[in-house]
Amino acid sequence: MIKGIWVEGPVKKGVLDFLNGLLAEKKIKAVLMPAKNKGGDSYAWFLMGKDRLLESADPVPPVMTTQGANVVSYLTKKGPVWEKTAVLLRPCEYRAVIELAKIKQVDLTNLVLISFDCPGAYPLEKYVNGDPEELDESFEVCLGGVVELDGPRNVCAICHRFTGTGADIEIGLMGGEGKGFWLVPGSKQGEELLDGAVGSESDNIDVREKAISDRTIARETKRNNTLDSFQETVMGPENLLNTLSACINCHNCSRVCPICFCRECYFDSKALSSEADNMLQRAQRKSGLRLPPDLLLFHLGRMSHMSVSCVSCGACEDACPANVPVSMLFALAGRNTQAVFDYEPGRRLDEAIPHTVFKFEELKDFETPYIKEYSKV
Amino acid sequence: MANNETDIKIVAFLCNWCTFTAADLAGTSRLKYAPNIRIVKVMCSSRIEPVFILKVLLDGADGVFIGGCAPGDCHYSKGNFYARRKVALAKTLAKSAGLDSERIRLSWIPASEGPRFAHVVNEFTAHIKELGDNPARREVYI
Ligand code: SF4
Ligand code: SF4
Repeated sequence: MIKGIWVEGPVKKGVLDFLNGLLAEKKIKAVLMPAKNKGGDSYAWFLMGKDRLLESADPVPPVMTTQGANVVSYLTKKGPVWEKTAVLLRPCEYRAVIELAKIKQVDLTNLVLISFDCPGAYPLEKYVNGDPEELDESFEVCLGGVVELDGPRNVCAICHRFTGTGADIEIGLMGGEGKGFWLVPGSKQGEELLDGAVGSESDNIDVREKAISDRTIARETKRNNTLDSFQETVMGPENLLNTLSACINCHNCSRVCPICFCRECYFDSKALSSEADNMLQRAQRKSGLRLPPDLLLFHLGRMSHMSVSCVSCGACEDACPANVPVSMLFALAGRNTQAVFDYEPGRRLDEAIPHTVFKFEELKDFETPYIKEYSKV
Repeated sequence: MANNETDIKIVAFLCNWCTFTAADLAGTSRLKYAPNIRIVKVMCSSRIEPVFILKVLLDGADGVFIGGCAPGDCHYSKGNFYARRKVALAKTLAKSAGLDSERIRLSWIPASEGPRFAHVVNEFTAHIKELGDNPARREVYI
């Protein structure tokens, strides 16, 4: 497999030219990617077909509006796409697509997944209420991987999986210093599409690899330290309840989460509702009951369902009207649960989701072993 | 609030084929064991979701006991292996939230072992007694 193609020139324009080229040569039939919306103050996803991309298309937008995996899931809900379609995804969106493919919520047939070295994203609220032109400009400066994004979302600041490793094609920005980018194939399909792409066979790709490994090390340390100290502030029911105290039970966080795919959520269902009498008894037992009840159960329960697959995309926190640090809580829970099963969401398509498999000999710390106990009787 | 022995509440999820049958056997053999457990029968230990365990703890029970067939003996051949994964998840999350994961216990008790059921229940009850009241029982904001 070729290592990569170096494309000199402005990054965004170069990527769009490459995709337009694929469309013109009919190597792909459509592209699914974000573009500026009509008002110019935010972004939305568009399926672009005919023969050119929309003028406003943007392969590396400064905000994450709808999580890309949700869009891909929507597109393939009733079956696969019939013709080759390229999808431009942030690395966390790409990993969510892989997680959803494992549980058959995304059909990967005919999809070409393209991802990029992600500089992070601004909080949605900041972008929508801010000056988009100014923010776009300061975002552009960070594309080359030299400057870190100023004021990104919490999870972006501690993101240690900021490249699209595993995607059919990776757009390598890190180390390019904004002077250009690499097109790196990650699969046979990706390699075929790169055949004939405008650019030069790369002899400088180790610059990117070095930049990535440096930032990965720095970010891993930062992530661990930040989560460690965050854990201290939220540890214990008391602190956790303080952190969640502003929550208004709107369940936006689960609605926008790509991993929370259930059409009917257990926590919105009747399973947890009870008679007024029951609530009254609970209230009397402890001289007061917060309503709607089960605030902590909702968050912990959601963690039990999906934290092993949480890709730390931050969509939940962007959607929270009450400023609850939801994505940090889930990053923390995910770090703990993923470690138990030695699992990393989105790492590989053939790595089964922990709930669906088991080993005969494992998790001895969580059970009272049969033999040991037997000898006591 | 000091705990006397009957104050302690333990919710037990027992699988129909092994641990529940063992509990039944303990009963018909007139074995004495601590009266603090409330049994919920499920067809298989893998039916027990982490949410059940967490809800029981958050609602103020002092302990959660999960009983299933010994590994390799599951009536549905592998349900208890999935159960172990789910309990691992629940315990990990309880710990992350600062709830006492010691209050959750997973044990394997075959159908024919009534005495063992009584023994395990006594032991777990004593352990919970040592831990004391579940603070969540009085938490209004939960
Ligand atoms: S919990 Fe939040 S950060 Fe994790 S995958 Fe869902 S939306 Fe993304
Ligand atoms: S989005 Fe925020 S306020 Fe709404 S349920 Fe989630 S944490 Fe609570």
